[in-house]
Formats: sequence, C-alpha cells, structure tokens
Amino acid sequence: MTEPLLAIDDLRVAYHGSAVALHGVSLRVMPQTIVALLGNNGAGKTTTLRAISGFIGLDDARVVGGQIRFAGERIENRPPHANTARGIVLVPERDKVFPNLTVAENLVVVSSHRTDAAERRRLETLVFQTFPALANLRPRLAGLLSGGERQMLALGSAIVCKPELLLVDELSLGLAPVVVEDLARRLSAVRRELGITVLLVEQNAGVALAIADYGYVLENGAVALEGRAAELRGRREIQESYLGQTGGKERRSYRPLRDASATVRRDG
Amino acid sequence: MSLQLVANVVVLAAIYALVSVGYILVYRVSRVLNLAHGELMMIGAYLLVATAGLFAGNPLVALVLAAAAGLTMGIVVYLVLMRWLTGEAVLAAVLVTIALGILLRGLAILIWTTQEYYPGATFGWRNPSVAIAPGVQVSAASLAIVAFTVAVYGGLFIFLQFTRWGVRMRAAGQNPLLAEQRGIRLHGVYAFAWGLSTFTASLAGMLLALDSGVEATMATIGLKAFPAALVGGLDSLLGAAIGALIVAAAEIAAIQYVNPLLSDVVPFVVLLVVLAFRPWGLFGSREQLDRV
Amino acid sequence: MTDPSAYAQELALFGTRARRVRLALALAALAVLPFVASPFLLDLANQVLLASIGALALMLLTGFAGLISLGTAGLLAAGAYAVGALVREAGAPFWVTLPAAAILGAFLGLIFGLPSLRLRGLYLAISTLGLHFVVIYLGGEYEARETLSTGIMIDPPALGGFAVASGRAWYFVLLGFAALALLVSVNLQRSRTGRAWRALRERDVVAGAMGIDVQRFKLMAFMVSATMTAIAGALFAYFRNFVSIDAFSLYLTVQYVAMIIIGGMGSIAGALLGAGFVILFPYVIEAIAAFLPARFGNMVFALDYAAFGVVMILFLLLEPAGLMGLGRRLKNSLAARRVGLRRERR
Repeated sequence: MTEPLLAIDDLRVAYHGSAVALHGVSLRVMPQTIVALLGNNGAGKTTTLRAISGFIGLDDARVVGGQIRFAGERIENRPPHANTARGIVLVPERDKVFPNLTVAENLVVVSSHRTDAAERRRLETLVFQTFPALANLRPRLAGLLSGGERQMLALGSAIVCKPELLLVDELSLGLAPVVVEDLARRLSAVRRELGITVLLVEQNAGVALAIADYGYVLENGAVALEGRAAELRGRREIQESYLGQTGGKERRSYRPLRDASATVRRDG
Repeated sequence: MSLQLVANVVVLAAIYALVSVGYILVYRVSRVLNLAHGELMMIGAYLLVATAGLFAGNPLVALVLAAAAGLTMGIVVYLVLMRWLTGEAVLAAVLVTIALGILLRGLAILIWTTQEYYPGATFGWRNPSVAIAPGVQVSAASLAIVAFTVAVYGGLFIFLQFTRWGVRMRAAGQNPLLAEQRGIRLHGVYAFAWGLSTFTASLAGMLLALDSGVEATMATIGLKAFPAALVGGLDSLLGAAIGALIVAAAEIAAIQYVNPLLSDVVPFVVLLVVLAFRPWGLFGSREQLDRV
Repeated sequence: MTDPSAYAQELALFGTRARRVRLALALAALAVLPFVASPFLLDLANQVLLASIGALALMLLTGFAGLISLGTAGLLAAGAYAVGALVREAGAPFWVTLPAAAILGAFLGLIFGLPSLRLRGLYLAISTLGLHFVVIYLGGEYEARETLSTGIMIDPPALGGFAVASGRAWYFVLLGFAALALLVSVNLQRSRTGRAWRALRERDVVAGAMGIDVQRFKLMAFMVSATMTAIAGALFAYFRNFVSIDAFSLYLTVQYVAMIIIGGMGSIAGALLGAGFVILFPYVIEAIAAFLPARFGNMVFALDYAAFGVVMILFLLLEPAGLMGLGRRLKNSLAARRVGLRRERR
C-alpha cells in the first residue's frame, strides 16, 4: 500500500480561540490522484485548505487539534512560505491573480527554488499548451480577463510553481458550466502530464466528481461521507443533496448526510 | 512666467519628485505611509557630512559611502522596526513612523547639534552658478538634482516594469497573500523597498546639502514633498512627477505673485484641494481609499 | 423580571459604595494638593490638568468615534489666538474671549470634520494634517502682519474681579474646567451620541445601514472635540500669559496623540493617565540628563525628542493598549497568581 501524500487526522480548527470551524476532519490524498472535497458553504472546505497551506493565521484561526502530515512530515501551524517551499500550492477562491500585472508577468512573478531555469521554461510552455487561450492574452492585464481566463491564469501560475500538491479552492465559482467542464478536463490533463496531486474543493459536486478519483463530503466541520468518486456519484444522498436530483415522487430528505448509512471505505 | 521662474519651478519640482519617490516605493510595496521620510532624508544629508569629514580629499568615495549607508539605513529600519508591524493595522505602522521621525530628529541634534554644515565646502567645492540660458541662472548643485531625479525615475521605471524582481515588488504591493503563495518572501521585498526608499531620500538629502547646507529643519521638506506623491495617487511614478510639477509651480507662483510667506503652506493647500476632489490622486483608483 | 434598582445602580455614575469611597478619597486628595505641594509640583499639576482637557477631546474624537485627526495643535492655536487677538484688539475680558474661542473651535471643527464625510483612516489623517498647516500659517500671518515676532502678551484673566494669577488660583480654575471636560466626556460616552460614535468607529457603513445619521454624528464628533480643544487653547494662552505661533508645532499634536495611545485608546481614564505621562515625561528626562556628560546635558530638548520617540515606539509595538492595557495585564497576572496559589493549597 502506497503512503498518502497528504494525511489529515482528526483536524480541529478554531477561530478567535473559541469558535470551532473543524470538528475532527480526517482525510487521505494518495499521490497523483485528484481528490474532491465537497460540501455546502460554511462546511469547512476552505478552512481545511487554509490549514493545509498555512494561511490559516489570517482570520485569526488556529489548528487546535489533530495532525496534518505531508509526505510524512507534520505541517500544521507552519508559516505559509514553509509549505510553499515544500510544494504545496494554493489556488485561492478570490484574488487569485495579480490584477495590475499582465498575463505574462503573472507567470514571471513566481519565485520558486524548486525549479531551475530550464524546468521553469518547460513548465511555462506546458501552461500555454494546456491553456492555449492564454498564449494570445500575454500582454493583457489580468484584471481585464474574463472569469474563465482568470481561472486558467491562476491554475497556470500555480503550475509554474511546480507543485507536489495542488490545492484548488472553488474551481467553478462564477463560471459558466461549459467553461467549468473545459477547465476540469484541462486540469485532469495537467495532472496526467505532470503527475501532480490535486485536492479540489468544490460546491459543484457534479464537476468535481467527474474528474476526481476519490471524494469527501464535509458537513458542519466534519466528514459526513467519503468514497470513490464513481460510487459517490451513484449514492442517493449525494444525488439529492448535492446534485439536485430528486429521483421520484418521494419527498426529499433534508437530514444531514452524517446520519445516513455508513460511509464507503477505501480498500487496501 | 519668465524663463528664470520656469527654471526655478523645474528645480523645485525635481527636489519634490526625488523625495516623493521614497513615499511611493514604501507605500506601493507595503501599504505603509512612512511619515519619517523627511527625517530619513535629513539623516542621509548628515551621513554625507560624516563621510565628507573622513574623506575630504576624495569626494567620490564620500558620496558613494554615504549613499550606501543610506541604502543600509532603510533595510535596517525595516528589519529592526517596521517588520513587526507587517500584517498589523496600517495606522499603527504610520504612528510608528511618526515616532521614528521624532526619534531621528532628537538623535540628529544630539549627534550633530543644531549647527549648519556645508559638506560641499569640506570638499572645497563652491557650487557655482551656471547660466543655462540668457538671463537664467541655477546653481550647479541644482543641475545635479535635476539630473539625478531623471536618472532615478528612469532607473526605477525600468526596474519595476522590466525586471523579474521589479515585477515581484509590484505583485507584493497588489496582493501580498498571493505573492507569498507564489514564493515571494514578503519580508525581503519590503526590506528592499525600504532600502531603495531611504537610498533615494539620502540622495536627495546629500544633493540638497551640497546645494544649501544641512541643518535640523531640513526634514520639513519631506513633508512638503508629500502632496506631490499624493497627487500621483501614492502609487505611480508618473503621477508623482506630475504632482511635483504642480506643487512646485503653485509654490513658486505664490511666492512670486502673492506672498513669500505662503511657501510653506502652498503644498498643503494643493493637498487639500486634491483630497477634496480626487483623493485617490490623478492616477490612482478608487479602491485605494478603502484599503486604508 | 430584572430588578429595577440594580439597573439604576449601573446607570448611576457612582453607584457602588466602593466607588463612592474612592471618589471621596480622590476629591479629598485633589482639594488638599494645592496647599501641600511645592510651587513646582503645583505648576506640574496645572499643566497636567490643562493637558487633560485636550487629551479628553482627542479621545472623544479618535478613541470613541474612531476618527483620526492630526489637527490638535491647530485647534489649540485657534483657541489661543482667539484670546490673543481679542485681548490685543479690543481688550476683551475673559467671559468674552472664552466663548469666542469655543465658537471658533466649533466652526473649525466643522471645517476639519468635512473631509471625514468622504475620507477615512489614513486619508482623513492627512487631510487634518493639511488643515493644521493652514491654521498655523494663518496664525503666523497674523503675527507677521502685526509685527509680533515675540508673540502676544496676555494679562491674567479676571474672574469676577479676582485676577487668576497664582498657581493655587489656577489650580482650582483648571480643576474646574478639567472636571467639566470629564463630566462631558463621561456623559457623552453613555449617551445615545456616544453609542452612535462607537458604532461609527466599528463600521460606519454598517452604522449607516442601521439608520444612524453618519454625517451628522461625524461632524458632531469633530465639533465637540474641536470646541473642547479650542477652550483648552484659550486657557493655555491665559495660563502662559503669552501666545506665539511657535508653540503650536506638529510635535504638539503628536504629543496629544501619544497621550491617548500611551494612556490607552478609547478610555477616559486612559486619556488622563496619558496626559499625566506625557507632561511629566520631559521632567523625568531632564532629571536623567543631569547625570549625563555635559554635552548632552546642554541639549535636553533633543534628548527629550529622542526618548519620547523611543517610548512611543515601545508602547506601539509592545503594549498598544497603553497604560490601561498594562494595568489590566498586571491585574490579570496577579489574579491568576492568587488563583494558582489557592489551587496549590488544596
């Protein structure tokens, strides 16, 4: 059995010392897989990402219990640049590009000790291959890009960092479905090409589960359901709560998923 | 306006522009308004006095040493003092710079007393008056000021627009969080911005010292130059240059045609006018206002 | 149902017995002071009392309402010059000059407050800075025009035929004004206006959405604060028997800002503590300077500047809640220790 790249055990996060945001989240991200982290607003998805990337101190939040292990090392409450140096790269939900820099400058800006000049050129070329639309937009100010273009640029600049683990916060937010599907496919292609691992936070379960290998559903700061993506897609709870399908004439259940039947565990 | 007046405006504008650069560098990169900038400029001038005393026969060495010391001063101020305020409320940082300014004024007088110094004289240089056109005289040092201001602006523009680290500094100013996420070490960038800021301030101080001497009230020029930076929106080099021209023109015009006593208050009247009509400056954007 | 007398007790200024005892002791000490203190100490006390008024005024504006202002020196100058000009031009008596200063203060408060309707934080502070320089310039102009390079001399004010000239007389006059300022501040803090100001400080956009007339309360804050400050400036003119524009520098403003920071932002007691600290500070430095080599001893004011800068930086970095914050921390650590001891004994 291979070791997980990212292992989170019983993670507890509190804001301002007392308001608890995560009540013991446990998850595993195996190397070179895409793992989806689903859930509604306020479920704790972004908090989890922040705890992993180290940017948690911003909102005066702290990891108050549990462990986050990256490639075997504990990384909770470490400063952000330590985690970036390890190859944990975050594409945030908002403010994901530098608006007053051009597309080209947004890529140049990346400052990484993990790549030498040659590798860096290779990565930049890959970015323009994966997102050909960006190639024509090189001199355009990032603030003037459309939502989809901006997301491509954000992913692109993250790729230039040569990530080991790519954290993506809300890939689909504010984007048209066609654009999102296109982005998701390209993300999948990048994963194959570079062999990176992706933890994808998404409200849009359909999109996420389409490209993910495994998924977790967060509810009120804890994992309510987990399983292989294909299995999750088929589960009635997911279909009702997160995919908007009611199936038949029966009334919808609004019970939190955690009360539902046991989760489907990963094997081996 | 006679040609001589125009020349005076250009020289004064150059001084204000050179001083403004420092405000802009620190603000653009780290969102802090350094109200000790005038005092730092004054210290730069005193640094030349010190090196001139040591290398009286070798002015070039003295100048280079003083400039290097000026650069170091900014880095030290950041690493020792300002870095603890990174991430805290901007107002706290500004209050700290005010206190720093007071501290520096006291220190300057303790070390160098209230006496006036003329480092140019130490070098045996008499700052001759140069006729750049018929009927138009400026001091040689003034020419140097204009030349250096143009060089500094040009150099900074090239640096910020076309070099990797210049882009990174601009990025850090726009979105410090994202900059950290993309591997840019904020402390390093901020320290460098402070260093560059005090370097240009020291340059201004040294040139002014060569032109008209150093003494403890020199720091007020720093405050008078501030409106020039504000007109540019605290963010833009071009804006600062234009702002400097506007303030200098207003000041010289007021002195010439209204009342010489106005010289110290005109920059602030310009300031108030700008704040009343376009607080984000001519080139800034409205969001700037909300950032503080 | 809540006990109505308990609520009344909370509302009353000195509801609890402990507070009443403390108040009585404080009043006794204050009353006795001018008769037991040396003239030097009495003068110090007078300076502190005078500074308290300006400090309270700034506390109301910046600490309560959250409106940053660097205009204190300009407003003090306005009050002082109102007195100076009226005394010089018209030989006006105290009961005319003081209200005149107050009115001028209110008017300037309106002007200083106008930028706050559009600007916030740093930009607001900068606008008040600009206005400071304009006021100082106007004062300087007046001096220059009247060729008063050494300032205006002012006779002691006459209160009902009695000239206030001695330290003791000033003590009671200033104590009265300071007490009045304190009363006004405390009442404002507890009033509807005070609550509106607090809402402004937190989030003025939200306050507006809640129905608070943001513009009116902002201007009111500036005007009340400026009126108090101008009165302090007028008293300053009489106290020193002298008005000159040189006394009203940016450094003076910074000293008042330091008072509310060092004392503890947002707290009335903090303003008083801060005033005491900042006024007494130069004397402490002077005393220390006596031990330094003569070279430094001769430049005490520079030493004062440098030391003041250092102290202000230390407070801003280490204890932004000021002396009140320090006091609270001490109280907490003492209480914690007591609790710890109690636990150990079991």
